[in-house]
Amino acid sequence: MLDTDKAQNPRVVFALIIINKAGGLIYQRDFHEGLTKLSVNDYLILAGTFHGIHAITARLMPRPLAPPPPQKPTGIEVLESDAFRLQCFQTLTGTKFLLFTEPHQTNADVVLRRVYELYADYVMKNPFYQSEMPIRCEAFDRHLGSYVKSRQ
Amino acid sequence: MGPHVIKQWLSGPASSSAATGATKPLRPQSGSSVVSAGELDNGPARTRPSRLSAEDDAKLVFGTVFSLRNMVRKLGGPDDHFISYRTGQYKLHYYETPTNLKFVMLTDIKTNNLRMVLHQIYVSLYVEFGVSSITIYVVKNPLSRRYLEAIALLFIDIVVAVEHPGGEGVANELFEMGLESFIVCPQFYPPSGKG
Repeated sequence: MLDTDKAQNPRVVFALIIINKAGGLIYQRDFHEGLTKLSVNDYLILAGTFHGIHAITARLMPRPLAPPPPQKPTGIEVLESDAFRLQCFQTLTGTKFLLFTEPHQTNADVVLRRVYELYADYVMKNPFYQSEMPIRCEAFDRHLGSYVKSRQ
Repeated sequence: MGPHVIKQWLSGPASSSAATGATKPLRPQSGSSVVSAGELDNGPARTRPSRLSAEDDAKLVFGTVFSLRNMVRKLGGPDDHFISYRTGQYKLHYYETPTNLKFVMLTDIKTNNLRMVLHQIYVSLYVEFGVSSITIYVVKNPLSRRYLEAIALLFIDIVVAVEHPGGEGVANELFEMGLESFIVCPQFYPPSGKG
Protein backbone atom coordinates (compact mmCIF):
# COMPACT_ATOMS: atom_id res chain seq x y z
CA MET A 1 0.00 0.00 0.00
CA LEU A 2 1.43 3.36 -1.00
CA ASP A 3 1.38 6.30 1.36
CA THR A 4 -0.46 8.44 -1.14
CA ASP A 5 -3.06 5.77 -1.37
CA LYS A 6 -3.51 5.92 2.37
CA ALA A 7 -3.90 9.68 2.31
CA GLN A 8 -6.49 9.64 -0.42
CA ASN A 9 -8.51 6.71 0.79
CA PRO A 10 -9.49 7.19 4.40
CA ARG A 11 -9.50 3.87 6.14
CA VAL A 12 -10.98 4.84 9.43
CA VAL A 13 -13.08 2.28 11.20
CA PHE A 14 -15.40 3.79 13.74
CA ALA A 15 -16.88 0.76 15.44
CA LEU A 16 -17.67 -2.92 15.23
CA ILE A 17 -20.80 -4.63 16.45
CA ILE A 18 -21.51 -8.35 16.44
CA ILE A 19 -25.05 -9.64 16.72
CA ASN A 20 -25.94 -13.26 17.39
CA LYS A 21 -28.56 -15.16 15.49
CA ALA A 22 -31.32 -14.24 17.91
CA GLY A 23 -30.67 -10.53 17.54
CA GLY A 24 -28.77 -10.02 20.77
CA LEU A 25 -25.67 -7.90 21.02
CA ILE A 26 -22.59 -9.96 21.79
CA TYR A 27 -19.78 -7.57 21.01
CA GLN A 28 -19.43 -3.84 20.67
CA ARG A 29 -16.26 -1.82 20.39
CA ASP A 30 -15.33 1.68 19.32
CA PHE A 31 -12.04 2.22 17.57
CA HIS A 32 -12.18 5.81 16.51
CA GLU A 33 -14.30 8.80 17.26
CA GLY A 34 -17.02 9.58 14.82
CA LEU A 35 -20.17 8.03 16.15
CA THR A 36 -22.15 9.29 19.07
CA LYS A 37 -21.35 7.52 22.30
CA LEU A 38 -24.34 5.54 23.45
CA SER A 39 -25.07 3.60 26.60
CA VAL A 40 -24.97 -0.17 26.70
CA ASN A 41 -28.74 -0.26 26.73
CA ASP A 42 -28.88 1.81 23.57
CA TYR A 43 -26.53 -0.55 21.83
CA LEU A 44 -28.66 -3.50 22.85
CA ILE A 45 -31.74 -1.82 21.45
CA LEU A 46 -29.87 -0.92 18.29
CA ALA A 47 -28.78 -4.49 17.74
CA GLY A 48 -32.28 -5.80 18.16
CA THR A 49 -33.72 -3.16 15.86
CA PHE A 50 -31.17 -3.85 13.19
CA HIS A 51 -31.81 -7.56 13.42
CA GLY A 52 -35.50 -6.95 12.74
CA ILE A 53 -34.87 -4.52 9.92
CA HIS A 54 -32.44 -6.91 8.33
CA ALA A 55 -35.12 -9.59 8.26
CA ILE A 56 -37.74 -7.25 6.83
CA THR A 57 -35.53 -5.90 4.09
CA ALA A 58 -34.81 -9.41 2.91
CA ARG A 59 -38.52 -9.88 2.27
CA LEU A 60 -39.25 -6.45 0.90
CA MET A 61 -38.08 -7.03 -2.60
CA PRO A 62 -39.38 -5.52 -5.81
CA ARG A 63 -40.55 -8.12 -8.21
CA PRO A 64 -37.56 -8.69 -10.48
CA LEU A 65 -38.24 -8.01 -14.10
CA ALA A 66 -35.70 -10.60 -15.15
CA PRO A 67 -36.08 -14.17 -13.90
CA PRO A 68 -35.50 -14.16 -10.14
CA PRO A 69 -31.90 -14.57 -9.00
CA PRO A 70 -31.01 -18.07 -7.93
CA GLN A 71 -29.68 -17.24 -4.50
CA LYS A 72 -31.79 -16.56 -1.43
CA PRO A 73 -32.73 -12.91 -0.90
CA THR A 74 -30.41 -11.20 1.53
CA GLY A 75 -31.00 -8.37 3.94
CA ILE A 76 -29.19 -5.08 4.21
CA GLU A 77 -25.57 -5.26 3.18
CA VAL A 78 -24.65 -1.61 3.06
CA LEU A 79 -26.26 1.41 4.66
CA GLU A 80 -25.08 4.89 3.78
CA SER A 81 -25.59 8.12 5.60
CA ASP A 82 -23.89 11.48 5.71
CA ALA A 83 -21.68 10.72 8.67
CA PHE A 84 -20.90 7.02 8.37
CA ARG A 85 -21.24 3.89 6.32
CA LEU A 86 -22.46 0.63 7.73
CA GLN A 87 -21.46 -2.66 6.17
CA CYS A 88 -23.17 -5.80 7.35
CA PHE A 89 -21.87 -9.28 6.83
CA GLN A 90 -24.10 -12.17 7.76
CA THR A 91 -22.58 -15.59 8.21
CA LEU A 92 -24.30 -18.78 7.20
CA THR A 93 -25.23 -19.36 10.82
CA GLY A 94 -27.01 -16.04 11.21
CA THR A 95 -24.35 -14.09 13.08
CA LYS A 96 -24.12 -10.51 11.85
CA PHE A 97 -21.00 -8.38 11.78
CA LEU A 98 -21.66 -4.66 11.51
CA LEU A 99 -18.76 -2.43 10.62
CA PHE A 100 -19.12 1.35 10.89
CA THR A 101 -16.66 3.26 8.74
CA GLU A 102 -16.21 6.59 7.07
CA PRO A 103 -18.72 7.38 4.37
CA HIS A 104 -16.42 6.84 1.42
CA GLN A 105 -14.54 3.80 2.50
CA THR A 106 -14.06 1.38 -0.34
CA ASN A 107 -12.64 -1.71 1.30
CA ALA A 108 -14.96 -2.32 4.20
CA ASP A 109 -15.66 -5.83 3.02
CA VAL A 110 -11.97 -6.72 3.20
CA VAL A 111 -11.87 -5.53 6.78
CA LEU A 112 -15.01 -7.49 7.57
CA ARG A 113 -13.57 -10.68 6.15
CA ARG A 114 -10.49 -10.26 8.29
CA VAL A 115 -12.61 -9.61 11.38
CA TYR A 116 -14.53 -12.78 10.60
CA GLU A 117 -11.27 -14.71 10.39
CA LEU A 118 -10.17 -13.33 13.74
CA TYR A 119 -13.56 -14.24 15.17
CA ALA A 120 -13.23 -17.79 13.89
CA ASP A 121 -9.72 -18.10 15.25
CA TYR A 122 -9.97 -16.45 18.65
CA VAL A 123 -13.60 -16.73 19.62
CA MET A 124 -14.97 -19.88 18.06
CA LYS A 125 -11.89 -21.92 18.84
CA ASN A 126 -11.81 -20.71 22.40
CA PRO A 127 -13.00 -23.67 24.48
CA PHE A 128 -14.38 -21.46 27.21
CA TYR A 129 -16.51 -19.39 24.93
CA GLN A 130 -20.23 -20.22 24.93
CA SER A 131 -22.01 -19.88 21.67
CA GLU A 132 -24.35 -16.89 21.30
CA MET A 133 -23.06 -15.37 24.53
CA PRO A 134 -21.28 -12.01 24.87
CA ILE A 135 -17.70 -12.24 23.70
CA ARG A 136 -15.10 -11.91 26.44
CA CYS A 137 -12.01 -13.25 24.72
CA GLU A 138 -8.91 -11.26 25.45
CA ALA A 139 -6.99 -12.64 22.48
CA PHE A 140 -9.73 -11.55 20.13
CA ASP A 141 -9.72 -8.04 21.55
CA ARG A 142 -5.97 -7.82 21.26
CA HIS A 143 -5.67 -9.03 17.71
CA LEU A 144 -8.65 -7.04 16.58
CA GLY A 145 -7.26 -3.88 18.09
CA SER A 146 -3.85 -4.31 16.52
CA TYR A 147 -5.35 -5.12 13.12
CA VAL A 148 -7.66 -2.15 13.02
CA LYS A 149 -5.14 0.30 14.41
CA SER A 150 -2.55 -0.79 11.90
CA ARG A 151 -4.84 0.12 9.07
CA GLN A 152 -5.52 3.68 10.19
CA MET B 1 -44.61 13.18 13.85
CA GLY B 2 -46.83 10.68 12.19
CA PRO B 3 -46.48 9.34 8.67
CA HIS B 4 -47.12 11.98 6.08
CA VAL B 5 -47.46 11.16 2.44
CA ILE B 6 -45.11 8.51 1.24
CA LYS B 7 -44.51 8.15 -2.42
CA GLN B 8 -43.02 4.92 -3.57
CA TRP B 9 -41.96 4.12 -7.06
CA LEU B 10 -40.44 0.94 -8.26
CA SER B 11 -38.29 1.69 -11.22
CA GLY B 12 -36.92 -0.80 -13.68
CA PRO B 13 -33.26 -1.71 -13.99
CA ALA B 14 -31.33 1.51 -14.00
CA SER B 15 -28.04 -0.01 -15.03
CA SER B 16 -25.41 1.63 -17.12
CA SER B 17 -26.85 0.14 -20.27
CA ALA B 18 -28.84 3.31 -20.69
CA ALA B 19 -26.93 3.74 -23.90
CA THR B 20 -29.02 1.04 -25.46
CA GLY B 21 -32.08 3.04 -24.63
CA ALA B 22 -33.92 -0.15 -23.90
CA THR B 23 -35.55 0.61 -20.58
CA LYS B 24 -38.30 -1.52 -19.21
CA PRO B 25 -41.58 0.33 -18.83
CA LEU B 26 -42.62 1.55 -15.43
CA ARG B 27 -45.32 -0.37 -13.76
CA PRO B 28 -48.67 1.37 -14.14
CA GLN B 29 -49.43 3.69 -11.27
CA SER B 30 -52.90 4.05 -9.91
CA GLY B 31 -53.20 7.75 -10.42
CA SER B 32 -54.42 8.88 -7.09
CA SER B 33 -53.61 6.43 -4.37
CA VAL B 34 -51.42 7.57 -1.56
CA VAL B 35 -48.93 4.87 -2.32
CA SER B 36 -48.33 4.18 -5.96
CA ALA B 37 -46.64 0.89 -5.40
CA GLY B 38 -45.94 -1.87 -7.80
CA GLU B 39 -45.97 -5.43 -6.63
CA LEU B 40 -43.40 -6.49 -4.10
CA ASP B 41 -42.28 -10.04 -3.96
CA ASN B 42 -42.86 -11.67 -0.63
CA GLY B 43 -39.79 -13.82 -0.98
CA PRO B 44 -39.49 -17.47 -0.17
CA ALA B 45 -41.89 -17.45 2.77
CA ARG B 46 -45.03 -18.52 0.99
CA THR B 47 -46.81 -19.94 3.96
CA ARG B 48 -49.08 -16.92 4.24
CA PRO B 49 -51.27 -15.56 1.41
CA SER B 50 -49.04 -15.36 -1.59
CA ARG B 51 -48.42 -11.63 -1.69
CA LEU B 52 -48.80 -8.76 0.70
CA SER B 53 -51.13 -6.09 -0.50
CA ALA B 54 -49.68 -2.83 -1.69
CA GLU B 55 -50.76 -1.17 1.51
CA ASP B 56 -48.92 -3.69 3.65
CA ASP B 57 -45.83 -3.17 1.57
CA ALA B 58 -46.12 0.53 2.10
CA LYS B 59 -46.42 0.07 5.83
CA LEU B 60 -43.39 -2.19 5.89
CA VAL B 61 -41.38 0.27 3.89
CA PHE B 62 -42.43 3.12 6.10
CA GLY B 63 -41.58 1.19 9.25
CA THR B 64 -38.20 0.16 7.92
CA VAL B 65 -37.34 3.63 6.75
CA PHE B 66 -38.52 5.22 9.98
CA SER B 67 -36.51 2.86 12.15
CA LEU B 68 -33.40 3.22 10.03
CA ARG B 69 -33.72 6.96 10.09
CA ASN B 70 -33.92 6.99 13.86
CA MET B 71 -31.00 4.62 14.11
CA VAL B 72 -28.87 6.81 11.89
CA ARG B 73 -29.83 9.88 13.81
CA LYS B 74 -28.89 8.25 17.07
CA LEU B 75 -25.51 7.11 15.80
CA GLY B 76 -24.45 9.98 13.64
CA GLY B 77 -25.91 12.87 15.57
CA PRO B 78 -29.16 14.76 15.14
CA ASP B 79 -28.09 16.26 11.83
CA ASP B 80 -27.19 13.05 10.14
CA HIS B 81 -29.25 11.91 7.19
CA PHE B 82 -29.82 8.38 6.10
CA ILE B 83 -29.22 8.29 2.36
CA SER B 84 -29.67 4.78 1.05
CA TYR B 85 -29.26 1.11 1.77
CA ARG B 86 -28.47 -1.83 -0.44
CA THR B 87 -29.32 -5.50 -0.16
CA GLY B 88 -28.28 -8.29 -2.44
CA GLN B 89 -31.30 -7.69 -4.66
CA TYR B 90 -32.21 -4.02 -4.64
CA LYS B 91 -31.25 -0.59 -3.45
CA LEU B 92 -33.47 1.79 -1.57
CA HIS B 93 -32.90 5.54 -1.80
CA TYR B 94 -34.39 7.91 0.69
CA TYR B 95 -34.89 11.64 0.77
CA GLU B 96 -36.65 13.61 3.45
CA THR B 97 -37.75 17.16 2.91
CA PRO B 98 -37.60 19.80 5.60
CA THR B 99 -41.34 19.38 5.96
CA ASN B 100 -41.03 15.72 6.95
CA LEU B 101 -42.21 14.47 3.60
CA LYS B 102 -40.45 11.26 2.67
CA PHE B 103 -39.47 10.11 -0.78
CA VAL B 104 -38.47 6.51 -1.23
CA MET B 105 -37.22 4.94 -4.40
CA LEU B 106 -36.21 1.34 -5.03
CA THR B 107 -33.87 0.57 -7.88
CA ASP B 108 -31.43 -2.12 -8.85
CA ILE B 109 -28.08 -2.52 -7.18
CA LYS B 110 -25.89 -0.69 -9.61
CA THR B 111 -27.54 2.70 -9.28
CA ASN B 112 -25.49 5.34 -7.57
CA ASN B 113 -26.68 8.00 -5.23
CA LEU B 114 -30.12 9.18 -6.23
CA ARG B 115 -30.61 11.69 -3.50
CA MET B 116 -30.30 14.64 -5.85
CA VAL B 117 -32.74 13.05 -8.21
CA LEU B 118 -35.30 12.65 -5.48
CA HIS B 119 -34.69 16.24 -4.51
CA GLN B 120 -35.30 17.25 -8.11
CA ILE B 121 -38.51 15.29 -8.16
CA TYR B 122 -39.62 17.05 -5.05
CA VAL B 123 -38.66 20.50 -6.20
CA SER B 124 -39.74 20.50 -9.78
CA LEU B 125 -42.58 18.04 -9.91
CA TYR B 126 -44.17 17.72 -6.51
CA VAL B 127 -43.95 21.29 -5.44
CA GLU B 128 -44.96 22.54 -8.83
CA PHE B 129 -47.90 20.30 -9.48
CA GLY B 130 -48.86 19.13 -6.04
CA VAL B 131 -48.66 22.39 -4.23
CA SER B 132 -49.59 24.98 -6.81
CA SER B 133 -53.21 24.10 -6.48
CA ILE B 134 -53.23 25.13 -2.86
CA THR B 135 -51.34 28.39 -2.94
CA ILE B 136 -54.48 30.30 -3.76
CA TYR B 137 -56.25 28.67 -0.86
CA VAL B 138 -53.47 29.56 1.54
CA VAL B 139 -53.14 33.18 0.51
CA LYS B 140 -56.79 33.93 0.84
CA ASN B 141 -57.03 32.86 4.45
CA PRO B 142 -55.71 35.37 6.98
CA LEU B 143 -54.82 32.80 9.59
CA SER B 144 -51.77 32.58 11.79
CA ARG B 145 -48.63 31.22 10.18
CA ARG B 146 -48.42 27.92 12.03
CA TYR B 147 -52.02 27.16 11.36
CA LEU B 148 -51.46 27.98 7.73
CA GLU B 149 -48.54 25.58 7.50
CA ALA B 150 -50.53 22.84 9.13
CA ILE B 151 -53.38 23.42 6.76
CA ALA B 152 -51.05 23.49 3.79
CA LEU B 153 -49.52 20.16 4.67
CA LEU B 154 -52.89 18.63 5.36
CA PHE B 155 -54.14 19.88 2.04
CA ILE B 156 -51.22 18.36 0.22
CA ASP B 157 -52.01 15.04 1.83
CA ILE B 158 -55.60 15.30 0.79
CA VAL B 159 -54.80 16.34 -2.73
CA VAL B 160 -52.70 13.29 -3.24
CA ALA B 161 -54.95 10.84 -1.47
CA VAL B 162 -58.35 11.64 -2.84
CA GLU B 163 -59.52 10.01 -6.01
CA HIS B 164 -60.16 12.39 -8.85
CA PRO B 165 -62.41 14.89 -7.13
CA GLY B 166 -62.89 17.31 -9.95
CA GLY B 167 -60.15 19.89 -9.99
CA GLU B 168 -57.66 18.39 -7.56
CA GLY B 169 -57.33 15.24 -9.62
CA VAL B 170 -55.88 17.17 -12.52
CA ALA B 171 -52.91 18.42 -10.55
CA ASN B 172 -52.23 14.91 -9.38
CA GLU B 173 -52.34 13.43 -12.85
CA LEU B 174 -49.96 16.07 -14.08
CA PHE B 175 -47.61 15.07 -11.32
CA GLU B 176 -47.79 11.42 -12.21
CA MET B 177 -47.26 12.07 -15.89
CA GLY B 178 -44.41 14.45 -15.26
CA LEU B 179 -42.83 11.94 -12.95
CA GLU B 180 -43.09 9.13 -15.43
CA SER B 181 -41.51 11.10 -18.22
CA PHE B 182 -38.82 12.31 -15.83
CA ILE B 183 -37.88 8.85 -14.72
CA VAL B 184 -38.09 6.99 -17.99
CA CYS B 185 -36.10 9.64 -19.79
CA PRO B 186 -32.62 8.26 -20.55
CA GLN B 187 -30.87 11.27 -19.05
CA PHE B 188 -32.24 10.20 -15.71
CA TYR B 189 -29.89 7.31 -15.34
CA PRO B 190 -26.71 8.62 -13.81
CA PRO B 191 -23.58 7.11 -15.30
CA SER B 192 -23.09 4.23 -12.92
CA GLY B 193 -20.27 2.76 -14.94
CA LYS B 194 -17.69 4.85 -13.14
CA GLY B 195 -16.05 3.74 -9.91
